[in-house]
Amino acid sequence: MPVTTSTPEIVSVKDLEKRFGDFTAVDRVSFSIDRGEIFGFLGPNGAGKSTTIRMLCGIITPSSGSGQVAGYDVVRQSESIKQTIGYMSQKFSLYEDLTPVENIRFYLGIYSVPESRWDERTGWALGQARLEEVKDRLTRELPPGWRQRLALACALLHRPEILFLDEPTSGVDPITRRHFWEFIRGLAREGVTVFVTTHYMDEALNCDRIVMINEGRIVAMGSPGEIVAEACPGEAKATLNDAFIRLMTRTERVQGPG
Amino acid sequence: MLINPRNVQAVARKEFYHIVRDYRSLYMAFALPLLLILLFGYALSLDVDNVKVVIVDQDRTELSRDFAGRLDASAYFDLVTHLPDERAAVAWLDSGKATIALVIPPRWTENIRSNREAPLQVLIDASDPNIGTISRGYITSFVERYNSRLLVDFLGRQGFDNLRPALEGRIRVWFNEDLESRNFIVPGIIAVIIMIVGAMLTSLVIAREYENGTMETIRSLPINAVEFLTGKAIPYYLIAMTDVLVALAMGQLLFGVVMKGSFWLMILASSLYLSVALGLGLFISIATKSQLVANQIALLVSYLPALLLSDFVFPVENMPRMMQIVTWIVPATYYIDILNGLFLRDVGMGYLWPSYGVLLFMFLVMAAVAVVKMRREGL
Repeated sequence: MPVTTSTPEIVSVKDLEKRFGDFTAVDRVSFSIDRGEIFGFLGPNGAGKSTTIRMLCGIITPSSGSGQVAGYDVVRQSESIKQTIGYMSQKFSLYEDLTPVENIRFYLGIYSVPESRWDERTGWALGQARLEEVKDRLTRELPPGWRQRLALACALLHRPEILFLDEPTSGVDPITRRHFWEFIRGLAREGVTVFVTTHYMDEALNCDRIVMINEGRIVAMGSPGEIVAEACPGEAKATLNDAFIRLMTRTERVQGPG
Repeated sequence: MLINPRNVQAVARKEFYHIVRDYRSLYMAFALPLLLILLFGYALSLDVDNVKVVIVDQDRTELSRDFAGRLDASAYFDLVTHLPDERAAVAWLDSGKATIALVIPPRWTENIRSNREAPLQVLIDASDPNIGTISRGYITSFVERYNSRLLVDFLGRQGFDNLRPALEGRIRVWFNEDLESRNFIVPGIIAVIIMIVGAMLTSLVIAREYENGTMETIRSLPINAVEFLTGKAIPYYLIAMTDVLVALAMGQLLFGVVMKGSFWLMILASSLYLSVALGLGLFISIATKSQLVANQIALLVSYLPALLLSDFVFPVENMPRMMQIVTWIVPATYYIDILNGLFLRDVGMGYLWPSYGVLLFMFLVMAAVAVVKMRREGL
């Protein structure tokens, strides 16, 4: 049973670390996320974004540190976490030789949604993804943007408390991206927490709070405005993009030889 | 680790869709087994009958014609033609159109009548040693029987009636009364089919999830290794059992091979053996994560041993000691042992339980290894 439903924090991690052999992918990160927040996780490729998200989703076990997601322990209760969250991985990962309806029913089965509610949830998912017209076509025949909408709808079928999205908009056109963010804001208004990784700075502006990560370490945390003000003091025209570049190069200098 | 039947069902249903959508796996599952039955049943006959004989009759008497006539009437021989001389006969052997060339020399009858040696020349093509050996046995016993008939006729004319030989072997063949190798081949084909569907097809199913990136989805879902693997195995279990029943029916309809033993013991043995195959295939799939590599390895460790090291095509007794030991770890060895017991000897659990026990043990080991490997992969 979730033990911290009364607290506003749905995610809290302390000194979370993941090592693969000698390589430290995530180096003692600590942060917390409030319910209903849109939380952005930013960093260059290989910074440790995906590794962090996979630890939070119970897919991989942390090497050390502790954390809770929706009241469950990330080390010992990964099965319960998986039942409570929705996750969309970086790579499109639905079954392309199944139709949208068959994919949806696979998720409904695994999420143990009672069969009496399958028709309603299937209808809801097809509506959200705007795929009613093509529900019996093979998924591989659909354009990438449509498939992405289907993947998102599938991750929400069991009404998760928190949604983890790993670079959800890479390779998606600007209009679809705008629709996507409208949809995410709608979810947050309904109280769903959204954890999203991205390296598009314009998208990161949609987030309530942001953590910037580089080489496995947190380099900045706060609202987009706070981060810009802190990284580029006294520069009125500075954008999140400027702040990002400054923060990432600064750490490299710090960690360089000498 | 609790098992949620809904999760198993969801995976099984999804897997079934994959099979239906992929005509190659459908072909492998249904058409290939049928093809194998026809191919092995008709082509891989290990029996030797109707040995083709050509005769050079240089004697040209009533007796030599009688000899040739009786030879032709025998079920073991097929008298193809009479040839004028030995050179022509050798040419027939060379071209492979005949297996035996018989030369009846001039004055053969005359020699017999005057109690002199009357040799017959028999040339046998032994390029296939099996056929050569068996043909030699056939022709030797035919000549001997013809000899004793001549003797009995002769003595009868001399006034000795009621003659019978001192020794007469009363031979009864048990367990495969007609000495038909087909009775032996049908169990072997079933063993091979189960390995193809059970291990070779399933060796693709998890590798496919890795190649398509869908393994990441599975890892993020509330499903455990046992549920996932069981769900993956169920459609292939059903397909393979259907194939077994089809093979059984075809064996009966086409080749007249009727199983004498218990049907349910056969189903139990097939289920156990198939479960070993499924565990093996799934393990290979998890370990390789590549459909191409998995298929190659599955061919090597499942299909070929079932064919070659199981007493099906090559008798284990004739193998070198080292190879015999290798056959002990081939599941098909035990399955074929059970099937031969059920098909030919009508024996029950009393005789067959050790083989059932070994298959059960192999299944438990394979299942454990596959589940542990899957959990290490983060499920």
